[in-house]
Amino acid sequence: MLSQETLKKIDREIAKYPADQKQSAVMAALALAQEEKGWLAQETIACVAEYLGMAPMAAYEVATFYNMYDLAPVGKYKLTVCTNLPCALSGGVHVADYLKQKLGVDFNETTADGMFTLKEGECLGVCGDAPVMLVNNRRLCSYMATEEIDKLLAELKS
Amino acid sequence: MLDIEIDGKTLQVPEGSTVMDAAHQAGTYIPHFCYHKKLSIAANCRMCLVQVEKAPKPMPACATPVTNGMKVFTHSELAINAQKGVMEFLLINHPLDCPICDQGGECQLQDLSAGYGGGASRYQEEKRVVVNKNLGPLVSTDMTRCIHCTRCVRFTQEIAGLMELGQAYRGEHAEIMPFVEQTVASELSGNIIDLCPVGALTSKPFRFSARSWEMARRKSVSPHDGLGSNLIVQTKHDRVLRVLPLENEAVNECWLSDKDRFSYEALNSAERLTQPMLKQDGKWINASWQQALDYVAHAFKDIAKDHGAAALGALTAPQATLEELFLTQKLLRGLGSGNVDSRLRQSDFALDGKLGGAPWLGMKIAEINALDRALVVGSFLRKDQPLLAQRLRQAAKRGCQVSLIHSADDDTLVKIFAKSIVAPSQLPGLLAQVVKSAAEQKGATVDAELAKVSVTPEAQKIAASLVSGTNAAILLGNFAQQHAQAATLHALAQQLAKITGAKFGYLGEAANSVGAYVAKAVPQAGGLNAAQILASPLKGYLLLQAEPELDCANPQQTLAALQKAATVVVMSPFKLASTLEYADVLLPVAPFTETSGTFINTEGRVQSFNAVVKPLGDTRPGWKVLRVLGNLLGLPGFEQNSSEEVRAEALAGQPEFVADRLNNQANGVVLNLSLSAAGLERVSDVPIYFADALVRRAPSLQKSLDAKQPRARMNAATLAKLGVAAGKQVKVKQGSGVAQMTAELDAGLPDNCVRVAAGHVLTAGLGAMQGTLTVEPM
Amino acid sequence: MGAMKEFLNSLLLKELFQGLVVTGRYMFARKITIQYPEEKTPQSNRFRGLHALRRYPNGEERCIACKLCEAVCPALAITIESGERDDGSRRTTRYDIDLTKCIFCGYCEEACPVDAIVLTREFEYHGEVRGDLYYTKQMLLAVGERNEAQIAKDREQDAPYR
Repeated sequence: MLSQETLKKIDREIAKYPADQKQSAVMAALALAQEEKGWLAQETIACVAEYLGMAPMAAYEVATFYNMYDLAPVGKYKLTVCTNLPCALSGGVHVADYLKQKLGVDFNETTADGMFTLKEGECLGVCGDAPVMLVNNRRLCSYMATEEIDKLLAELKS
Repeated sequence: MLDIEIDGKTLQVPEGSTVMDAAHQAGTYIPHFCYHKKLSIAANCRMCLVQVEKAPKPMPACATPVTNGMKVFTHSELAINAQKGVMEFLLINHPLDCPICDQGGECQLQDLSAGYGGGASRYQEEKRVVVNKNLGPLVSTDMTRCIHCTRCVRFTQEIAGLMELGQAYRGEHAEIMPFVEQTVASELSGNIIDLCPVGALTSKPFRFSARSWEMARRKSVSPHDGLGSNLIVQTKHDRVLRVLPLENEAVNECWLSDKDRFSYEALNSAERLTQPMLKQDGKWINASWQQALDYVAHAFKDIAKDHGAAALGALTAPQATLEELFLTQKLLRGLGSGNVDSRLRQSDFALDGKLGGAPWLGMKIAEINALDRALVVGSFLRKDQPLLAQRLRQAAKRGCQVSLIHSADDDTLVKIFAKSIVAPSQLPGLLAQVVKSAAEQKGATVDAELAKVSVTPEAQKIAASLVSGTNAAILLGNFAQQHAQAATLHALAQQLAKITGAKFGYLGEAANSVGAYVAKAVPQAGGLNAAQILASPLKGYLLLQAEPELDCANPQQTLAALQKAATVVVMSPFKLASTLEYADVLLPVAPFTETSGTFINTEGRVQSFNAVVKPLGDTRPGWKVLRVLGNLLGLPGFEQNSSEEVRAEALAGQPEFVADRLNNQANGVVLNLSLSAAGLERVSDVPIYFADALVRRAPSLQKSLDAKQPRARMNAATLAKLGVAAGKQVKVKQGSGVAQMTAELDAGLPDNCVRVAAGHVLTAGLGAMQGTLTVEPM
Repeated sequence: MGAMKEFLNSLLLKELFQGLVVTGRYMFARKITIQYPEEKTPQSNRFRGLHALRRYPNGEERCIACKLCEAVCPALAITIESGERDDGSRRTTRYDIDLTKCIFCGYCEEACPVDAIVLTREFEYHGEVRGDLYYTKQMLLAVGERNEAQIAKDREQDAPYR
């Protein structure tokens, strides 16, 4: 189900923990699986769970708990806008509204061309840079203003 | 020991206790939802908050360890306010519609909200709604009511062995759910109904049928596996409506397996026999008890006169009560025939006359938890003895090394240290290897035949594990007891136990397997055993609580014998369509809820019970029928006026345990190791919901995954060799019988083995449970 | 002296006239006799007469088979059997009231969380054999149907005090 490459990476994560506690690597393993598949289907989660010798439900609990795991297919770029209090006070909600209008989609929706998915996110831990946005769980964008967003979207589109 | 003061009461508690334990010891009640004595501590309901001196905030009693000199106040203003606050939060999302909830009247949340809840809710906003989950035919869900105590999750994880339920999502969106729409398939799933403190998980068969306060509660004993779980049977208007566990730490703790819990549905089955029936000129007519019993007495007398008493035989189900078994054998022996047996599924009787007593567990049930090494030989552990398997699971969790020798690799959900899966014919050879290896490691000598075997690494690993233990046990499961070389397996296991100093026991097959030996409902010298009774067709048969075409080792032979017989008397609570063909008299005798009786469980515990409802229709308790039949036959010793008198006669007193009658030691068994099976070997299990007459008729159990139609299961190599594809129909032939079923891939089976379940109508035309068969593609 | 007075009282029929005074007074007083059954006394809106099972305006039965009325009934006059209806809701499969046992205390109405079982103003009913006074669910629903307007009005009137 998962590629040899991903399994090798998962093995490296497993090696960080005692041999009888393989399941400690579940978060890393799910992240790696998501990287390969784009999102976490039930089968992917079951596959990770089996590889780590844990109950599929236990892995599913983890996958549903954290919002960086995607349980449904997402576009090429997943834009997660923080709407927690500090960001909201600094205009996070407006950023989200602007994005919605610009992309023509609501939260948890993907644009028709499959490029962008908009998500509402939780605090990213850099409230000093509010409002913030995250692209594909990896790239953090600080001080998001409308011009910044336009620039970012143009860059991603190209 | 630590000193603690709870509400001004000082007491001493052992180190490691929690405040909850201490409060329990002090007799103080602390409200709680998520805490359960048998489950791990989660501390997520926060209901048990108490005030602890010098602690700045209230502490959860269930998760706070006692420290020396601790002062706890469970009813101080701080504690009460904290508990009331928690209750208000719990009630925010809980629907306030107790009148339509099935838990109403027995709900912990309802009870505690009477003490800690407000008169009216201050919450004005929207309440959350959670979609119900499909948890199968036994558990009904109302997930909006869930308060996320996670007792059910912890149960499936810790007690049932597989985390089938979990809490997905987080915060307000948290939901208890199974993974995907898989139903909960555990054979212990009914316990989550008891565990749920609210009405989120309730019993599906019982749904909306009664309130807890309108039912009578009666104690009883489960008539299924060898454990003899203690039951509370709840009845209303002379109908059994529900079965709950009666807590008994020494037997079933506070759990019940699903078959114990839901088999009651069969008691109201349309297949119940409610009136004596006679076959006249090929037609069935209703008869009075007088007519029917006169007929039986005359028929038996005639056969004894014309063909000799030895032409009579009795087959009794091992689920019959001690009293019924005792009177049956007394009746037969009174007539002069020793042909009585209750080991219907057994095929090797070489141990008869060599055993020191009734085969039993070899230890107390509770001692299983303390084992540090265990070897299970031939057992579909989870399905045959669900709660004994649960004890073994707990032992394994504590560090017990459990090894398994078997012919099928079903997931036991017990952490297995070493296992070896071989074809049934290789089972004795494998066990012999373990014996030899253990002897080598211990420096003991074995006889010449054993010295010849060569030891595989797996066998050596199992032997090494057993040798290294201080409290080991070797347990023979149902499959080993029904094995064609059961005596050899027994002798080998006995030898292994002697070498390793382990305990040696049987995992009792049925509720009264031990009781049958104690009641002497097994052949003594000169009598025929179950196989012989059926192999040499007799003239007259008495069948007690048994459905031989499904309960016997060789259904083909059984049917042939019964069809040839002149008189077949069936004493059963049910009428089976195929029974009507060969039987001559049907006598409706009571199932366990309608008669008083006694079961002796696999540890030798004598458990008596009373009838909980009136017998249905003209049904009569079996012991009464047999007693009157004894009178009609003019036999001495049938003057008992109560089942207690029968029991006193059978047990010579009123012992709590029949320890003096139990003995697993057999002498002079000839080992038979040189076995080679030609062709495909049959591996037969008795699926959990086809094991006895009651579970076969419980509709909800029949809808569960364990009750699906038997399939011809083979491993990939065998499938390829036969040219059969998994999922395709095949013809399974054994002897003169043919069964058409679906082929299925089962990677856990050894080569050249076909797993075909017994106890099912579909496979009832096949031959012996142990033997060879052929499989042809359609 | 006392004997003399007693003799005169009885000779002059004093007590008779005293009685006739009462009779005369009532002869001219306002008449309160009710010509039942042509005339009837007024009833309280809390009158406790024959039982009825109500329906919601959309025709759905109100009763949800919670069995609280059965539990509270001091005379054990109510018998309920419940089950799951096809749509999954909790409903009675049997709801019987034995009127020969009922003491018309009204507890069932008090206990009902959905105002399903009520006591109506209907009191003119009879049974020719005992069995006639054993009311089944269908009969109780029929009582409710024919009295619904009055029942609803009475509950509304009483609502501020409940």
